[in-house]
Amino acid sequence: MRRARTRRRAAAVAVVAAVPLLGGCGIQETDVIEAGGPASVQAFLNREYDILLFFRSPDGGLAPVIRTPASSSVFDGYVEEGSGDQNPGETAGRVPTEKVVLALLGGPQEEDLAVGLGTSLPAAHPGGTVEVERSPGGRVTTRLPFALGGLDSTALRQLTCTIAYSQDADGQVVVELRGQDGVSRSGTCGLAPGNTGKATAETGTRARTTPPGTTG
Amino acid sequence: MTTGPHPGRLRRDEDTGRLRRDEDTGRLRRHEATGRQRRDVATGRQRRGKDEGQGGTATDEQRPRVRAFGLRTRLLLAFLLVAAVSAGTTAALTYREARTAVLRTAQDTAVSSFRDHVQQTGFSLPVRKEGMEEVLRDLARKGKPRPWVVFAEYGSLRASSGENPVSTVITPELRRAARANPRGAFERVVKDGVPYLTIAMPTVFKTSPGSVLPTGLVLYAVMRMADEQVNVDALLMAARDGALPGLAVALIPGLIAARSVLRPVRELRQAARSMGSGRLDTRIRVRGSDELADLARTFNESAGQLEGSVRELREAEERARRFASDVSHELRTPLAGMLAVTEVLEEDAEGLGADTARALRLVSAETGKLAVLVEDLMEMSRFDARAAELNDDEVDVAEAIRKTLQNRYWTDDRVGVQLPDGIRARLDPRRFDVVIANLVGNALKHGGAPVTVRLCTEVRSPGTPVLITEVMDSGPGIQPEVLPHIFDRFYKADAARTRSAGSGLGLAITLENVKLHGGTIRAGNRPGGGAVFTVEIPLHAEEAGG
Repeated sequence: MRRARTRRRAAAVAVVAAVPLLGGCGIQETDVIEAGGPASVQAFLNREYDILLFFRSPDGGLAPVIRTPASSSVFDGYVEEGSGDQNPGETAGRVPTEKVVLALLGGPQEEDLAVGLGTSLPAAHPGGTVEVERSPGGRVTTRLPFALGGLDSTALRQLTCTIAYSQDADGQVVVELRGQDGVSRSGTCGLAPGNTGKATAETGTRARTTPPGTTG
Repeated sequence: MTTGPHPGRLRRDEDTGRLRRDEDTGRLRRHEATGRQRRDVATGRQRRGKDEGQGGTATDEQRPRVRAFGLRTRLLLAFLLVAAVSAGTTAALTYREARTAVLRTAQDTAVSSFRDHVQQTGFSLPVRKEGMEEVLRDLARKGKPRPWVVFAEYGSLRASSGENPVSTVITPELRRAARANPRGAFERVVKDGVPYLTIAMPTVFKTSPGSVLPTGLVLYAVMRMADEQVNVDALLMAARDGALPGLAVALIPGLIAARSVLRPVRELRQAARSMGSGRLDTRIRVRGSDELADLARTFNESAGQLEGSVRELREAEERARRFASDVSHELRTPLAGMLAVTEVLEEDAEGLGADTARALRLVSAETGKLAVLVEDLMEMSRFDARAAELNDDEVDVAEAIRKTLQNRYWTDDRVGVQLPDGIRARLDPRRFDVVIANLVGNALKHGGAPVTVRLCTEVRSPGTPVLITEVMDSGPGIQPEVLPHIFDRFYKADAARTRSAGSGLGLAITLENVKLHGGTIRAGNRPGGGAVFTVEIPLHAEEAGG
């Protein structure tokens, strides 16, 4: 009786030991495993005369789009204010940020729409002006010709990233947006892979310093 | 030849040598019928079970011996188990490590080569659908270690190098990981039993020499791991093929170990059996210094002590027997003289006074009984000393029995016979005469007339014909509690008859005589009343009698 019990126990031990050892012959499934960095592809971006716009991807993210403003048709519907020399530090010949923002506000073009890109920004309305002002601390303040209050985060990020990459090749600037309704938002783009900080650290404040009617 | 009515025939010259064989058989004639219903003198004598001696119960003798898990089997199993566990563990660990290495190599090669190939590709932003499939097919062709299917996801654009623009193998987890974190990732997926390696490769582009930006385009490669499966299967086969011969090899030390244990055990068993059969000088050779050697040593010591004890017992018994024999012999010589004197005196008794004559007759009778007792004792001593010999001769059994009855004058209607003629057997006529005379005399004295002597032959199961002699009386039969002791020496069934005519040795001598013939004797009761003694002697007694 005792011997039988011992033998049964030994068999159980053997089975218990064998199962994890032999467990899973063949190839098993795995979880998602990270393996190295992303693939760096050639996107033919020439900062001298290309502009980088950020549109909304169907999955909710932002998709960068490169445009080469060959004609003024890109800026249709917007009155350009300032001659572009408000950025004295920038290389001559660069597309001014005001034009870039106007191009963003112009919305996706046909080729963008073909692959499902869209925008969360309000439709362009003529007569609006965009003012970009660069402060010495690396902070860029942009006045926009519409109210910021009703915009979702994607729209704000579109604006922030577009302005940031227009001002800086690395996009590492703090962008402050001011709407006609006096609402101001500030943050950074944070799309670069090395910058793992969540997209934009927005600090929304009711603008007191800026009178609402300034751009009106 | 046995005609002497009293033991007056003792030769006078026998006192020159003791234990001389007394050829005169008349001694046994007068006390033959004494054994039945004697009183048990030693009332405290241990009574054995009633059934014993009648072929009764021997339950505790046989013990079931199950050898399904003998020592050898268990040792072999233990060795096999150890070998199996170690071989299995080694094989499993090796297999796992090798499998991991094989897979890791394949995966790392695939991921890095996929990344390299993607990095050599250019994409416009936004990615255009036109020409996308050509790019993907180009990537798919360059797949290493083997072609893969490349999928592209960008915005709402879905394209692939294969037929379906969307893969069914890529899991949502992989998509989510690639979207959330622009880093390469892979996942092994088993779909329908086929292992796939799926690689997600998000793409970035340089906005400045030191800064990159995700393009939003994620490329996926899906590769069947058929070759890796083959490699892994080969590994498994190799592990198994290595383990099984290992098990076979493990049998050899198992067998050797079992043999090294079993051989001393077998020797021990043979020695124990040898001792059981009486060879007390059996010893075991002690080898080594392990536990089995200790056991053998202990066995030898015990055997030595047992041998000593048995020798002492035998010597004591021998002394006791020799003493009885000596006493009988020493008594016989003066008794012979006394018998002769009382015989002479008895003849002159008429001339004496009545009281003196009665006393003289009493002395004469008691002296005769004493002589008979001494003769019986001497006969028993011869049996005990194994000095009794069988002088067999081929005789007509019926004739022998008739002669016995005639010599004792039992020819009237008290004794009936059923003696078929023509039965011949090799018997010692003198001893057979003693047997029959004792049994019939017993029956007449303790049972009751008429007594029947019946003779027949029978063939027993092994094929030996047996001579059966039955002596039946018409008395009350033998009490059951007496039956087991009826052949004991000096056993008296009836306590009231302390002084019976016999010596108390009659049935014991009968038993010894029958045994000398290689036969058996048993006592019993007939269903209709009356005792029956059955003597069975093999017809060809020459082998058994030696």
